[in-house]
Amino acid sequence: MQIRLGSWKPLARLHSMLLAASLLCPVVLVPAAHALEDPAASVVATTFENGLTVLTLEDDSTPVVSFQVWVKAGSVDEDRFTGIAHLFEHMMFKGSANIRPEEHARLINARGGRLNAFTSKDFTVYFEDVTSESLPLVIDLEHERFANLRVGESTLDTEREVVLEERRLRTEDSPQGRGLEALFALTWSAHPYRTPVIGWRSDVEKVTVEACQAFFDTYYAPNNLVIAIVGDFDTAETLAHLERTFGTLPPGEPPVRRPTLEPEQRGERRATVYFDLKSAILAAAWHAPASGSADSEALDVASQILSSGRSSRLYRSLVYEAQKALFAQGGYWELVQAGIFYAFAGVRPGESVDEVERLFFEVVDEMREQGVRQAEVDKAVRQIEVSLAGGTATAHALASRIGREMATFGRIRPLEERLAAYRAVTPEDVQRVVATYLVEDQRNVVHVVPEPSEPAGAGEAEARR
Amino acid sequence: MKRVTRTGRPRTLATALAVALAAIACASSSSKESDSALSAAATAAGTPAWLQPPPPPKEAPVVRPGALHDASLDNGLRVMVLEDRRLPLAVVGVTLPRGAAIESLEEAGLASFTTELMQQGAGEWDALALASVVDDIGASLVVSSSWDSSSVVVVGLERDLDRLLEILATVLLEPRFDPAEAERVRAEQRATLVRARDEPGTLVSWHALATLYPEHRFGVPAMGTNESVQRLDAEAARNFHGRVFTPDGAIFFAAGDVKADRMRDEASRRFGAAAWPSRERTAVSPAPPERVPTAREIVVIDRPDLAQARIVVTHEGLARSDDDRVGADLMNKVLGGSGFASRLMQRVRADEGLTYSVSSGFDLRRHPGPFRISTFTRASETRRVVDLLLAEMERIRSEPPSEDELARAKSLAVGRFGLSLESSEAVLASLVDLAVYDLPADSLDTYRSRVRAIDTAETKRLANLLIHPDRAAIVVLGPAEVVAPQLEDLGEVRIVQP
Repeated sequence: MQIRLGSWKPLARLHSMLLAASLLCPVVLVPAAHALEDPAASVVATTFENGLTVLTLEDDSTPVVSFQVWVKAGSVDEDRFTGIAHLFEHMMFKGSANIRPEEHARLINARGGRLNAFTSKDFTVYFEDVTSESLPLVIDLEHERFANLRVGESTLDTEREVVLEERRLRTEDSPQGRGLEALFALTWSAHPYRTPVIGWRSDVEKVTVEACQAFFDTYYAPNNLVIAIVGDFDTAETLAHLERTFGTLPPGEPPVRRPTLEPEQRGERRATVYFDLKSAILAAAWHAPASGSADSEALDVASQILSSGRSSRLYRSLVYEAQKALFAQGGYWELVQAGIFYAFAGVRPGESVDEVERLFFEVVDEMREQGVRQAEVDKAVRQIEVSLAGGTATAHALASRIGREMATFGRIRPLEERLAAYRAVTPEDVQRVVATYLVEDQRNVVHVVPEPSEPAGAGEAEARR
Repeated sequence: MKRVTRTGRPRTLATALAVALAAIACASSSSKESDSALSAAATAAGTPAWLQPPPPPKEAPVVRPGALHDASLDNGLRVMVLEDRRLPLAVVGVTLPRGAAIESLEEAGLASFTTELMQQGAGEWDALALASVVDDIGASLVVSSSWDSSSVVVVGLERDLDRLLEILATVLLEPRFDPAEAERVRAEQRATLVRARDEPGTLVSWHALATLYPEHRFGVPAMGTNESVQRLDAEAARNFHGRVFTPDGAIFFAAGDVKADRMRDEASRRFGAAAWPSRERTAVSPAPPERVPTAREIVVIDRPDLAQARIVVTHEGLARSDDDRVGADLMNKVLGGSGFASRLMQRVRADEGLTYSVSSGFDLRRHPGPFRISTFTRASETRRVVDLLLAEMERIRSEPPSEDELARAKSLAVGRFGLSLESSEAVLASLVDLAVYDLPADSLDTYRSRVRAIDTAETKRLANLLIHPDRAAIVVLGPAEVVAPQLEDLGEVRIVQP
């Protein structure tokens, strides 16, 4: 177990993340005999006087509890130092008035619990999955760091080095990481979503103790949090415990988010990233609507038709028939303030990234021009149904779903509502959203390729520099 | 005291609450009272929970009584069914206790090749037809192999159970092994091998295995090599299927919203002796050498473009069925197998800020797989990190786990065990794994008591028996110009190209 930066996930995994994130509610379109009750239907939402929102959902089928704190602060909220939301997340494990650095993690580990945290563009999330007798410990430890955090100079310096190693691992030495960093910066020219969650190196190197403290004071106030608890516990007793702890935190004044808006893109943008690799990468993105858009279900269905399974259009065309790509995916990624529709493909060694790009966009063009079949829409909805049913299997998955929904929408969208929205998607809707969003002059394209060798005469070693 | 108010606002939630009280029918509220008493006592004292003695861990039986059904058919096939109606999903599959480890070096990658090709057409379905049959019902089909097993698994909605079983039986028993598909799969497998080398973490682990096992199957990636895969064709896959995909030692399993009686009938109709005759069980592969390496080896894989050095310190480990595996796991948790609870993480990350992650572990296979420590750091700090890794390997021997460290490792092991078995699928996967390695079926039930029986004398013995800093191989991927000079006084440094 380690503290992991969930921050962003490689687009290769975006598709599954998409399902986990935007479609998570267990929609089930089934005959009555098979009806799956929405487990989240029994959520109790409580608001404390200091503005803290607590969601509790009891299910004692296994003696496990998932406890999550959703902080409404992500990299989108950073001003002077990019990466501070994430570096600060690390500092939350580095000790408080009554707990030494790493002791929180050690105590949970010693009870056999799992804990972690991740920072995204919109949120920072802390979680513990424990056997149920340890819930009081979890609440006391979480309260301790929200109430009494201490950010020290030397721990910050050590943790800064840790984060820079993480940056080398995920971005600087990773062709995929390099490609995505370039893609976001290209797609969003002005909106803060353009900065990597882990931050630009020179900012991470400069973050100060004072800036960390200010970030904490601004964003980690009880009225900026959603706590989600799912599993085997007693609601009344747990709420009472939370009231004695989190309930005493003074409310803050988290700023209203007023980010720079992305200006309209007029014309395609392209970038090239050199990396020493054999299998080039194509990464592209179109602008798409934010979470909660009326088009989001149709975009999800388009994602499925393009990418889900070996009968999907991209797999069939690029991987199976042309044999030019090792994988190819396209999908809708919704964030709170804006979304993208991404394209991502791994080029077969020896094949050309330009050719893979041409084939990829040909598949998109075909959807736009000729539309999709009803059978494809039906298949997509069925696939969504299965993955949603599977997404309710653990306390952790349920806590993530209700925490995310409440933090994003201020409510938990009922199954029936989501179900109806997916069922209502027609082939015309899919064609319309493809025609609306997946257009050439809204497109941003990144190629990650080996640096071309210099003309004859130059040695290979020099050519690489 | 602050006033706690239910929010009136989300009316949906209020409605939901009403619906909900009727909903969670599967919930039973047995041990609630004792729980309440416990934490009430804890908070009444006013001391934070971390200063109080931990309450006894809440332990449920691994398998709910009556939920598991286990039987054998006359052709040797074992049938395991775990009923769990909480979700309208079903998982059905067959696992065989034979995988990549039985390949010869020349045919390395054959298991991967065969299992991939099995998904490219079966029975009446060609590759695209099979893909559609699976996707149309939102199901997923995975045919895969590991070192010691091979599996066909189908997951989907319970209402499609007939179709799921049909897909399973057809793919398992009637793969087409079409020569044109074989050619395509072979090209793809070779391309995937090339691509995998773009990933520094994969590349360093492959070099580490090659260093330990230069002449054994374990020294070559499970997917094979460019050369060995080039030799594979439809005929080779058909033969491999014939000798591996037999009912001997195989397990049919079903979990989720299924009925045991019906699954037993289906298994004997679709996979009984008439449909799937028994054959001679294939001999297992030769074991790797017992001690690898016999003396210190240092290998640097040159990637001048990288900022970070990937470091693996490795030598021989343990077999999956070794009697020492539980004690070894506890010892390893103290060393580097438990995140922030481990000595390595404390030293290399928390104290020194030299890495983002460091871990150690035994790769448990039928024959002993490697023990390894893996981490990474900025290239200029390679030596400092290597020294720390070797020092902690030395220290786990000279200062073996204390009573306190062992107690923490034990409760970690027991707690994680409980968390890992939250879903029926996970429980069944564990039971199938035990069957693959011929381990007792009650291993899950006895696990907690076996953990608790380990004492510090035992972990001390195991640290000295199993951890060998003096002769471990040190394998580093990074810019050789920066990395190699730092390691020279540890021994001869061999620099190789990626």
